[in-house]
Amino acid sequence: MACKRSGVQFPSAPPMTMVAVVMRTYERPVLLARAIASVQQQTLSDWHLVIVNNGGDPAIVDNVVRIAQQSTTSSSGTISVLHLDARVGMEEASNRGLAATTSEFFVIHDDDDSWDERFLEVSVKAMGSHVSAAAVVTGITRIHETFRGGSVWPVMHEDFYLTPGRLTLRGMIGNNTFPPIAALFRRRVISQVGEFDASLPVLGDWEFNLRAVTTGEFVYIPEKLARYHTRTSESDSASGNSITIGEDLHRSVKLQLQDRWLQEPAVNGVNKGLLSMTASTATDIEETQGGTRTRVDVEQIANRTAQIIALQSPLRRVVRGVLHPRHGVRAIVRRLRRIIGK
Amino acid sequence: MNSTAEQVLDGCTKGTVLSIDFFDTLITRSVAQPTHVFAVMEQRLIAALGDTWRGFAVARIEAEQAARLHASQQDENRDVTIEEIVLQLAHQLSLDMGQRTMLIELEKETEISLVQAVPFGLAITQGARERGMKVVIVSDNYMPASHLVAMAHAAGFSWVTADDVFVSCEHGAMKHNGALWPVVFSALGVKSNDIFHVGDDQHADGAMPGKYGISSHVRSTMRTSHRTMINTTPAVLPLSRIEAWYRDTMDASTWDVAEVLGGGLVAMVVAAQILDVQSVLAKREVAGVHFAARDGYLAHQVWNTLRERGHDLPEASYTAFSRSVVWRSSLVNADALELDRFVGDDEMVTLPRLERRVGCALVAEVPQDELLPATVSREILRNNAQIIAEAASGLRTRLVRYLTAQSLLKPGHHVVVDLGWKGSTVADLAEVASDASNGASTCEGRFTGLFWEATPVRLRVALHGYAMDDVGSADDNVRLLGIIKLMEALVTAPHGSVIDYAYDGSPVFVETKPELDAYAAIVGRIANAAMRGALAIIEGTHESGVTAADITPQSVWAAMMQVGHTPRVDEIEALSAIHHVTSVDHEGSGRVMVAKAPENSSSICVEDLPEMYNTLMHRHWMQGSLRALENNADTRWIAHEMYRINPMTSPRWVS
Repeated sequence: MACKRSGVQFPSAPPMTMVAVVMRTYERPVLLARAIASVQQQTLSDWHLVIVNNGGDPAIVDNVVRIAQQSTTSSSGTISVLHLDARVGMEEASNRGLAATTSEFFVIHDDDDSWDERFLEVSVKAMGSHVSAAAVVTGITRIHETFRGGSVWPVMHEDFYLTPGRLTLRGMIGNNTFPPIAALFRRRVISQVGEFDASLPVLGDWEFNLRAVTTGEFVYIPEKLARYHTRTSESDSASGNSITIGEDLHRSVKLQLQDRWLQEPAVNGVNKGLLSMTASTATDIEETQGGTRTRVDVEQIANRTAQIIALQSPLRRVVRGVLHPRHGVRAIVRRLRRIIGK
Repeated sequence: MNSTAEQVLDGCTKGTVLSIDFFDTLITRSVAQPTHVFAVMEQRLIAALGDTWRGFAVARIEAEQAARLHASQQDENRDVTIEEIVLQLAHQLSLDMGQRTMLIELEKETEISLVQAVPFGLAITQGARERGMKVVIVSDNYMPASHLVAMAHAAGFSWVTADDVFVSCEHGAMKHNGALWPVVFSALGVKSNDIFHVGDDQHADGAMPGKYGISSHVRSTMRTSHRTMINTTPAVLPLSRIEAWYRDTMDASTWDVAEVLGGGLVAMVVAAQILDVQSVLAKREVAGVHFAARDGYLAHQVWNTLRERGHDLPEASYTAFSRSVVWRSSLVNADALELDRFVGDDEMVTLPRLERRVGCALVAEVPQDELLPATVSREILRNNAQIIAEAASGLRTRLVRYLTAQSLLKPGHHVVVDLGWKGSTVADLAEVASDASNGASTCEGRFTGLFWEATPVRLRVALHGYAMDDVGSADDNVRLLGIIKLMEALVTAPHGSVIDYAYDGSPVFVETKPELDAYAAIVGRIANAAMRGALAIIEGTHESGVTAADITPQSVWAAMMQVGHTPRVDEIEALSAIHHVTSVDHEGSGRVMVAKAPENSSSICVEDLPEMYNTLMHRHWMQGSLRALENNADTRWIAHEMYRINPMTSPRWVS
């Protein structure tokens, strides 16, 4: 597929920077302008922002970038734009952006999210003190905002539930536990586990995280330096988040991934697909019983469930659970109660 | 005017012992309030040990609260010790024994490095000793007597020994509940009428000694600079130091709220406007610097003074434009909806006033002095659309001529300095400049603050919010919205808004009585103090020690929050007289900045609060109004309910 670059032109090889920031966008200029400002205001200046215009009108993106570049900021990072002629999947767009950069670390910065000005500084510093870490993930504030008629305003915000346990393989396997805006990755992870899976229309970040975490730990920084913006139902539909307007697609892709993992060989006696399905069911229990059991520890359930699966012929139970979800849920609840009650 | 030490001592005829409170009576610190000592500690901890100590100051305050609660459950008469506080802190921050010891030492060292004598405390102890009185220190505090002695020595009170100090944490009794006084009587072998006590707390130093038959004098001037204690972070220190300096220099006279507001918050904002432009000049080629009327007036004055004093700064313009004048100049092809915006839905205006708004004579068969409802006014405007378009065209010609004279159409990149808040007026201006220069002139808006409505404007002009912007946290965005009216009232010029441009290219300002009155009463004095303060900060001669290096986005935001979000009673009272004139023609009496409490608060119900919240947020100084409600017993519940519904409006702004 053809693509062309604008903004700051690369020489023969892209400039080596500390952090490559890949920002995919498609015809959301207002949010894009805010996202660019969020990068420009970083206290760490050694970044290269690549905006991947995923098939949208080039003139719109170029105009946003041109105006943003007229702003004098304390940061001296560079901005370039990669215009894709036709729209590709989100993960393919990420891969294109990453291919256009060389850096020690990278971040996927969605065009509707934002950072505290210290996000890159703190994350990079943490990488320095955790040399074997694959990623650093900061605390997150979720901002619910309304976007209507070209204006956007916050409605409320809340702390996004995240703990160190949710950044382990077992903590993440049941569900996608954090949005990309909160994570800084070491670039070497890509050479170890491959790039983002371009075949996935959504949840590519989750699938990538599950591969990445096998190469090194995800270090958690509780300070809330990432802001995950989601649009309220009152917003114009074009501004919506993939997760809030495409719940069915997320569910479907998740099942596909779990099917894929079921066919993979078990590692240390545990099959990734089985682990994901069971941990996911545990999360569903949490969600359906949220009103009555307020503080269910999903990580603990996931960990204990994994132990059960590893120890007791798992396949039969899980398949039965998938075929008859109510029976499956009841069985797991019974078993968990028995274990937790010990 | 406060009583002098001699006058106070003259009033004490029987006492042979002068008992004096320690903190904020005998000694103080070079910061505005006691908790800011912890902000200095946090600053030092971060510098020495890294970011993990961020938030230490708030944790330290909360640890003391927790320790006091714990102690009071055991014995309500006793005070806590520093060791108990640090133990609570250890629970919160998972500190080991070495870190606990380090923090106690650091707190002692920091206190000693900041301590200074209160001039009144120095004078009255000297006077008492000259009169042959024994002087002792009676204090409620968690530090041991040995530390108070060390602090006293550091402040110049070399005569103080541990035997002269009665501190609550060492005696299982407090001054606050009176239980410490029998300890003092017994140790000194004196009776109550032998003691004359001086302190700064009405209850602990006035009422309680009185119950024990001790004469006392309460002098709380060192407390005038206190604000909400929990808002403690290193960013508050620059304003804290300035306000502490004012507190000390005004100790013997009267607290001048206008001087403090101007020399503190406003001086920091003005200094930031100038320093921000300097940072732009250091990074890119700039064709022109333009301070916007009226928010940039003070900075432009200071800029010119700096140039006169030899600072290497380019010439800068003071450029007058306003939302209404730029908008009117764009109405060459106005439709009915745009014309309707000249009149508010519930507004009644006369024909002459309507004519002044659109800047031309209108054809209408109505009496000149008749107040017209909005429907009639709008009908007249629609019937005169062609005349209004011609007037707009003329205005645009004059505006372009003016901008040319101001060098804003000169090819290249221009920096426009404004206070805030959406950037839309600067975007309008940038578009006029770009159109008139065939794209040769580009603009960048440099603002003190921007909030979420700036986001779409980023598609039209480059924006930068110095202390806060739309990318900042949602809570801080709301907090900024709540102080906009205050900032506009304080950071302003001695003239009114521009409403037109004369044919000779000079701007036509409208003068309104409310604004003139406010300027004469207080705003002018604030402005003078601000210009002096900003100059001193930038030139490094400010007597508080605050310099340009202390002016950062974080410290300016903190200063805006310290005053705008947690105002003191004296500030609310002083600023209550200000009216904000907002109508499109800048006529009328405007709105009071601090909303008045409802006369019949019992008729207000919870369902009315969202509407009240919106009104306070958009039409008044939110926090000044809320505090005014809170200070009135009848309306206090309204403020508290507002805090509950909208937690970001509560006094705590440091997370």
